[in-house]
Amino acid sequence: MFASNLYTQAVIDHYRAPRNFGALAAHTHAADGANPLCGDTLRVELRCVDGRVAEMRFSGEACAIAKAAASMLSELAIDRSDTELAGLERVFIALVAGNITSHDQLGGLNAMRELANHPVRRKCALLPFATLRAALAGLHCATTEGTK
Amino acid sequence: MNAVPSVRPKPEAFDPLRYRADFPLLARRVHDKPLIYFDNANTAQKPQAVIDAVDRYYREFNANVSRAVHTLGEEATSAYEATRDKLARFINAPSRDEIVLTSGTTQAINTIAYSFAMPRLKAGDEILVTTMEHHANIVPWQLVCERTGARLKVAPITPAGELIASRFIEMLTPSVKLAAVVHVSNVLGTVNPVRDLAKACRARGIPLLVDGSQAAPHVPIDVQALGCDFYTLTGHKLFGPTGTGMLWARKELLESMPPFFGGGEMIKTVSFDKTTFADPPHKFEAGTPNIAGFIGLGAALDYVEAIGRDRIAAYERDLLVYATTTLKSVPGLRLFGEAPHKAAVLSFLIDGIHAHDLATLLDHEGIAVRSGHHCAHPLMQFFGVPATARASLAFYNTRDEVDRFVAAIGRVRKLLG
Repeated sequence: MFASNLYTQAVIDHYRAPRNFGALAAHTHAADGANPLCGDTLRVELRCVDGRVAEMRFSGEACAIAKAAASMLSELAIDRSDTELAGLERVFIALVAGNITSHDQLGGLNAMRELANHPVRRKCALLPFATLRAALAGLHCATTEGTK
Repeated sequence: MNAVPSVRPKPEAFDPLRYRADFPLLARRVHDKPLIYFDNANTAQKPQAVIDAVDRYYREFNANVSRAVHTLGEEATSAYEATRDKLARFINAPSRDEIVLTSGTTQAINTIAYSFAMPRLKAGDEILVTTMEHHANIVPWQLVCERTGARLKVAPITPAGELIASRFIEMLTPSVKLAAVVHVSNVLGTVNPVRDLAKACRARGIPLLVDGSQAAPHVPIDVQALGCDFYTLTGHKLFGPTGTGMLWARKELLESMPPFFGGGEMIKTVSFDKTTFADPPHKFEAGTPNIAGFIGLGAALDYVEAIGRDRIAAYERDLLVYATTTLKSVPGLRLFGEAPHKAAVLSFLIDGIHAHDLATLLDHEGIAVRSGHHCAHPLMQFFGVPATARASLAFYNTRDEVDRFVAAIGRVRKLLG
């Protein structure tokens, strides 16, 4: 089998059986993320109550890393405010850049620490967060291509 | 009279392992596995002879070229200019003065775009390219079209990735002022029938540019036999250093073109009233060039010629047939580019697996392939896919590596499929 620190059991599991995959019957926020050079698309729909995420669903075509990150994020985002999620995204960016090796708030997303050794694939894992942020900000689209 | 031997000596069998030993990098391990380098269309590895040539230049005769009269300058100039002779022989150019040294194909094509095409084009004119072009043979034309009001038109390919030559020729209408075609596709491996296209262009008085970046390492090139007007190639795909390349053009075309870059080296006399330019090729070589790089490229050309391009092409043909058959045994695999005449490039996708996941997981097995759009967005759009994985082979690759590559794909399928 593969000796892969990136495609861990948790990542494969979230890729094969993504949590909260699909659309919401009624959403308060939504955005479409796209990395056109990869051909990845990722739609995030949210139902927010009192400034906190009550439900998140995602859909789209993307690589295993983007899909697994979206699936993990869809669990992590619940009950968090946009400010809290922005803080979490900053921590996640530090993780995939190799500036920290783990953070207790990141839960399963800590599995993505190996991206420190795969700089080209970071944009895949960052797309779900960027799309979530766009949705919360009332923007309709997001991309992580052209960023380092 | 000497007797002619009745039996020809048996040609020596091609032994890739013998040549592998010349490439120090191929001995390294990646993720604790022996490296399998299948990304040769992206850039090729460099033999020791090239590394030594660059090293020797910096250690023993580093100096600027064509201006210093001291010993080091003479030595550097001779070694640098020798590459121009070698390139002329490599493509069978009629004269070394038709070889413009550039940073690569991109600079070569841009030189043609701005110095040859732009002054000639007007609104309503057309440039003809094909669906399978690299961005380097698309974007310069678009930029020139924007400035002149000319239009880019595109000759179609078949689903197998073959240029529909009859359509290309039909599209050579009087409004076409330049045609540009890739000799060997970097994505599909397709070898285009350049000789036929050149004949049709010539009959209509339309200059033809051939982008030979991907052809140079894999097929013998004879620009006089091809009958084209411009030919470009890049050194780093030819086992030479990055930042080296060549533009060949017929002398009368080079003479008719104004300089592209201005600066040192490309002038005869300079005053604030009037500057006169050097004759081609120096007219197009402003500034201090990549001297070490071109000396390295000279060593690369010697190296390739010593093996023999016909022998390389024959070995790679065999390896391609083997790799194609083996790869096609993988369930759910879609191969892009099945032209009958192709070089050893295999673009593919596997059902349900993203090209980047495939490439990253293969890398964990020590296997380097490219994933992405290969600088050919329009071609990806033609096939309706955002990206493919691509294995591109060289003469130092082996059947054993192909077997290990296909076995690794099987493991990726198990993991993600």
